[in-house]
Amino acid sequence: MNQDGNGQTQPVVTIVDDEEMVITSVRAFLTLETEYDIHGYTDPEEAARFLETHPIDVVVSDYLMPKMNGIQLLGKAKQLQPEAARVLLTGHADKQSAIQAINDVGLFQYLEKPWDNSQLLLVIQSAIERTQLFRSLREKILELDNAHSSLKDVQSRLLRAFL
Amino acid sequence: MSDPGAVRLHAGESVEELREELDLSNRKLAEAHKMASLGRLSAGIVHEINTPIGSILSNNETIRRSLEVLRKLIATAQSEQQPLPAKAGVILETLSSLTDIDKLACERIYAVIRSLKTFARVNESDLRKVDIHEILLNTLKLSGCVFRRRVTVITNFGDLPEVECYPGLMNQAFLNLVVNAAQAIQGDGTVTVNTRQDGDWVEVAITDTGSGIPLDVRKRIFAAGFTTKPIGEGTGLGLSLTREIIEDTHGGRIWFDTELGTGTTFYIKIPIQQPRAQEQA
Repeated sequence: MNQDGNGQTQPVVTIVDDEEMVITSVRAFLTLETEYDIHGYTDPEEAARFLETHPIDVVVSDYLMPKMNGIQLLGKAKQLQPEAARVLLTGHADKQSAIQAINDVGLFQYLEKPWDNSQLLLVIQSAIERTQLFRSLREKILELDNAHSSLKDVQSRLLRAFL
Repeated sequence: MSDPGAVRLHAGESVEELREELDLSNRKLAEAHKMASLGRLSAGIVHEINTPIGSILSNNETIRRSLEVLRKLIATAQSEQQPLPAKAGVILETLSSLTDIDKLACERIYAVIRSLKTFARVNESDLRKVDIHEILLNTLKLSGCVFRRRVTVITNFGDLPEVECYPGLMNQAFLNLVVNAAQAIQGDGTVTVNTRQDGDWVEVAITDTGSGIPLDVRKRIFAAGFTTKPIGEGTGLGLSLTREIIEDTHGGRIWFDTELGTGTTFYIKIPIQQPRAQEQA
């Protein structure tokens, strides 16, 4: 994981597209504008394996790919890391098929190709923010639950002491 | 609009006039089929062009922003009399690789456009001496847009002389066979194109690693209107038109070998030289 100057771990972004030039362009742009930890894959199966072992904040995937399409990959991502945000990048021709499957996979956003860099950046930034918010929320709920259990524990002990 | 296939007999109309009408109908049908083929390819072509354009647009923006950042880094370094920070070197390297990619992207777009231009050329209806390999490569480039990732194409080109033919029609015939070959393959596979000279003839073989042609289909496969594709997909005219182009128009032969589960090979044989103008009947 990338660490910035303050020792904070940087958000992890995964880009999946069977076209090498797309990965290079997006990576170059994100490297220039952000400090994100970027992982690019032209093979969706390899990307899925990466998702099994590396926590990520957002995955951006193309739709039309060999071996498995973007919806299938994002479906896998949802199973493996439900909190990570899922973004689909579609070419105009496959828009219809993508839209039909969007609800099944719980997309954060979908973008059309050719994408606009500043729009892509905004989507990725929002996605990361959302993922991190969900994580803090989950952690807070866990803390509350624990605190609640401790409280209930103390309460029952107190009651027993007085009965 | 009357049915282009219908031929009406008028009093006094000679066989020659009828023949001309029939020729014209055939040409119209071939043209319509060509347009339908192009239409079906267009989604793949659009996708093929969209990708490099996406890269170029993105890279252009990145390059613009990188130059801004570089300008500031240089200005700061100059004013503080410091050497350029390492980041400047990283930016310069990125800029260089991006411009390389842009060049490749532009070439890719240009290749698709060139294939389209060749295919769409209207005046290819004249008999000409052509390099068959050029026509084949063009066909492969165009159809490649649709199934490039799934199907591997192998070419084994023999030594061929120039062949006298109707290039537009040959383009059409090859396109039909190549698209059929790719569609016969479920998932991943290979399409191989072999060419060789056989005396006064040129033979082209297009092989696919598809499912093969079932027994009950084999006899009817060249019939007009016969198709194994679902309704709406294709006109069923492809092979019958291809047969007409090869056998009737060029005096050649078309046949196939097939094995279920292994694949199919279609063979086309056409004469290198077309006979001189027929004697009028």
